[in-house]
Amino acid sequence: MVFETREEADFALYEKRIDLSQTTCPNREQRANGINIYYGKASGLIEKAKSGCLQNHERGFAQSSGCSLNFYLSVRVGTIRGAATIFHAPVGCSSSALGYRELYRGVPVELGRPAEYDLHWMTTNLREKDVVYGAGDKLKRAIYEAQKRYNPKAIFILTSCTTGIIGEDIEGAVADVQPHVDARIVPVHCEGVRSRLVQTGYDAFWHAVLKYLVKKPEKKQTDLVNVASMLSYTWQDRLEIQRLLGKVGLRANLIPEFATVEQLQQLSEAAVTAPLCPTYTDYLSRGLEQEYGVPYFMYPPPMGITNTDEWLRQIGKYTGKSDEVEHLIEEEHKTWKPKMQAIRSEFDRIAAEKGSKVSVLGSLGQGRLLAQMPFFDELGLASPAAMSQDYDNLILEELEGVVSQVGDFDLLVNTFQAAEQSHITTNLDPDLTLTCPFQGGAYKRLKGATRIHALRGDPHPWSTQSGYAGAVAYGNFLLQALKSRAFQRTLKEKTKDSYREWWFKQSNPLYYMKKEV
Amino acid sequence: MVNSSAEESVGPEEVPESPAIEAPRFSCALGGALGTAIGIYGVVPILHSGAGCGIGQLFGQLYTGGQNAGGPQGGTSTPCSSLVERHVVFGGEEKLRDLIRSSTELMDGEIYAVINGCISALIGDDVNAVVKEFREKNDIFFVRSSGFAGNSYEGYELFFEGLIQDLLKPAEKVRPKTVNVFGIVPYQHIFWKGDARTIKNLLAEIGITANVFLAEFDGVAQLREIPAAEYNIVLSTWNGHRVAGLLEEKFGTPYLTFPSVPVGPKQTGEFLRRVAKAFDVSEEIVESVIAREEQRVYRFIEYGGDAHMMVRPHPFFAVAADSGTAIGISRFLINELGYLPDLIQITDDPPEEVRDEITRNLTRDLETPLLPEVIFETDAHLIRKNLKGRPFLFLFASSLEAPIALAEWGALPITVAFPALNRLILNRTYAGFDGALTLFEEIISLFVGPL
Repeated sequence: MVFETREEADFALYEKRIDLSQTTCPNREQRANGINIYYGKASGLIEKAKSGCLQNHERGFAQSSGCSLNFYLSVRVGTIRGAATIFHAPVGCSSSALGYRELYRGVPVELGRPAEYDLHWMTTNLREKDVVYGAGDKLKRAIYEAQKRYNPKAIFILTSCTTGIIGEDIEGAVADVQPHVDARIVPVHCEGVRSRLVQTGYDAFWHAVLKYLVKKPEKKQTDLVNVASMLSYTWQDRLEIQRLLGKVGLRANLIPEFATVEQLQQLSEAAVTAPLCPTYTDYLSRGLEQEYGVPYFMYPPPMGITNTDEWLRQIGKYTGKSDEVEHLIEEEHKTWKPKMQAIRSEFDRIAAEKGSKVSVLGSLGQGRLLAQMPFFDELGLASPAAMSQDYDNLILEELEGVVSQVGDFDLLVNTFQAAEQSHITTNLDPDLTLTCPFQGGAYKRLKGATRIHALRGDPHPWSTQSGYAGAVAYGNFLLQALKSRAFQRTLKEKTKDSYREWWFKQSNPLYYMKKEV
Repeated sequence: MVNSSAEESVGPEEVPESPAIEAPRFSCALGGALGTAIGIYGVVPILHSGAGCGIGQLFGQLYTGGQNAGGPQGGTSTPCSSLVERHVVFGGEEKLRDLIRSSTELMDGEIYAVINGCISALIGDDVNAVVKEFREKNDIFFVRSSGFAGNSYEGYELFFEGLIQDLLKPAEKVRPKTVNVFGIVPYQHIFWKGDARTIKNLLAEIGITANVFLAEFDGVAQLREIPAAEYNIVLSTWNGHRVAGLLEEKFGTPYLTFPSVPVGPKQTGEFLRRVAKAFDVSEEIVESVIAREEQRVYRFIEYGGDAHMMVRPHPFFAVAADSGTAIGISRFLINELGYLPDLIQITDDPPEEVRDEITRNLTRDLETPLLPEVIFETDAHLIRKNLKGRPFLFLFASSLEAPIALAEWGALPITVAFPALNRLILNRTYAGFDGALTLFEEIISLFVGPL
């Protein structure tokens, strides 16, 4: 199938329209033909996607990897200030949120963390009798209790596999209760069984925010830039983004984590919605444009010098600040480019010594895939392969762009499949692997290993990744990672692996992929 | 049941009390079963559940249980059938069959535990039948759990019940002076690794071999030897009791129970004396062990005596912890350090029938005329409220209280209970004789400076 125009292709590749009359979004499989299993050249994936014959497959062996609720929404929604969250679920669906009181406490108040804030979540703690008799009343009572206890501005309801399967009438309960409580009730349909793709959880959340929380704009705030931050962005990333936007007289509306309810309500008043992770922001960006005419752009995120330049230029374009942005870029380059050059020289020196570029295996979500490959290129690193949690057609055009920029590469699409990730890490044997807890023991190896990103509450400049400061900080961080292998090597030698030896002796990380779709 | 249109007729004020809880200090039965499986080396857990269940427990059972990583069988390494809507419609048995087959091929383990989640429990998969198909070639059993079956503590019982029911056969002969130890729930009892090791070593001192299972490289061999034990020892007023009861019924093994893992010389001495009596170990041996250890531990405590007496002698303290931790720590603080009990909140939701016994253990035979107020509460919001306006200077609780303890209650917090996100716990324990020193060190180090 060859499409005549971009519009025609778009139409066939993914659903562009957001339908807020529905209780929730379609899942990513339906919306953009999302998959979470593929191994091969990125160009091959692009070709399949364009021709419409890209298919998902069952796995004969799978590992626990995340659902729409856990872990993204479960650890994210409860950080919204001025709100309360109710998990309408058995007790285990929310235990991942037990860090809510601590999460941002480590950030010094001097760095802009509000001194006074209080976060709240509850679980309806569904039990055997609830799944037999229904739990609608339990939910209603929980909402009243949350209103009484916390007097919040919004009450988020997070649903679960259990409420989905027993057919709980969430909207009915909300309609009954809403007239009697002050807080705006925001039901989020994040039942884990809805989708194989964790990103469906993002869409479900933004659907609910758009449908229930975002207010009609009272006035346009021409200096306000919506920036939806991912889980993996640190406090310093926020500060860097605020610093850069502040220099041209703009304000960042950083949502949703640790944002206030008001920040979500005023999303419609912003001048533009800018991405940190394109596919995380996608549903929100489209919804805000469709409903309130807030323009958006999807690419690039501000990771690396060139990406940050372009990110700022896009924002400048939509805020009428193009001249100021060009001036800013010029100023910033004076500070940061020499530092980047020093890092680049060091990587080049190492490359000259070993006879080839330092190779890195990384990526995480689709967003990092798109942002990180060009950044690594900028640093003089080679990325023989990348991993991505999932793929959907929302990033097709951008992925093509990356391939044309940095060349073709192997791409493993899987959602935290530790055995597959361990396999590819062992077989490709890069100089440095960028890992996270969701790769199991893949860090245990003889060569370099470090983390792919830091944590939300991490206030140290050393952990920055966004903007110019982040490009330099992370470049230095990667250099530092090459200075020691003691930890991963010791553990590799002294502890057991999860898998039997044959796994690494055969060549296919998708050994257990099944033919059936 | 409440009338579902209550709010229309009477308004929200009249709606009965909500059963919803803020941040309860446990996960679900699947979480507890998974934690127990991961806690015994050689066991490979296989989740028949949604894809998020294992990763949810990495955050909500393992990290919360002392910042422990999943290791080779936990976290994203845990095999999972990752059920979605199509399995809800067509059933998940085929998916599970594939997963067990591949897991036994790929995952390096000695015994496989299929742990059930909500989805399969709701759609009625015949998991037991699928598991049975593999029993000829593998040691594999079915944990009849789900998320809504109960909390993590329930999952601990269900894990052992599944093992006993599916795999254990009566022993040909009982091994004298061998015991199984139950009641230490991995991750929920955040010092589980150190606790298990300490109990094993203590019992070895009086000539008794203990199967403690947890964090032992022959853990699976110990599981297989469960029916051959002469006694079972249960270190909780309620955890492990069902397991011990089932073992008595099935294999005739009698059991001894203790209110908690013993903390400090007094409780530990008492523990050893009772066990020795049951096993007919000579008094001479036991008393010599106790005398030797007491002498050393109290001599060491003396080093902290000045800081203790000069800075914070006989302070009030409060506790918010699971019943076992609360009993063990409180009795040590009261009876050996001279601390004064203020408020003790029990957070593990023990069954009604053992609550009086728990309260008794917190209020009887105390070396102070002051009695603590004992409250059973799982709701983090209410636990917080209950702590307001009281005289305590130290708070032995969880990482939920740690960030607000000083500001809200003027108390120094120590995380001794789940969730423990603010400390990494490896071999640390307050159990046994030396546990007294560890806990004393931690407390004094909270405030000590130039004297």
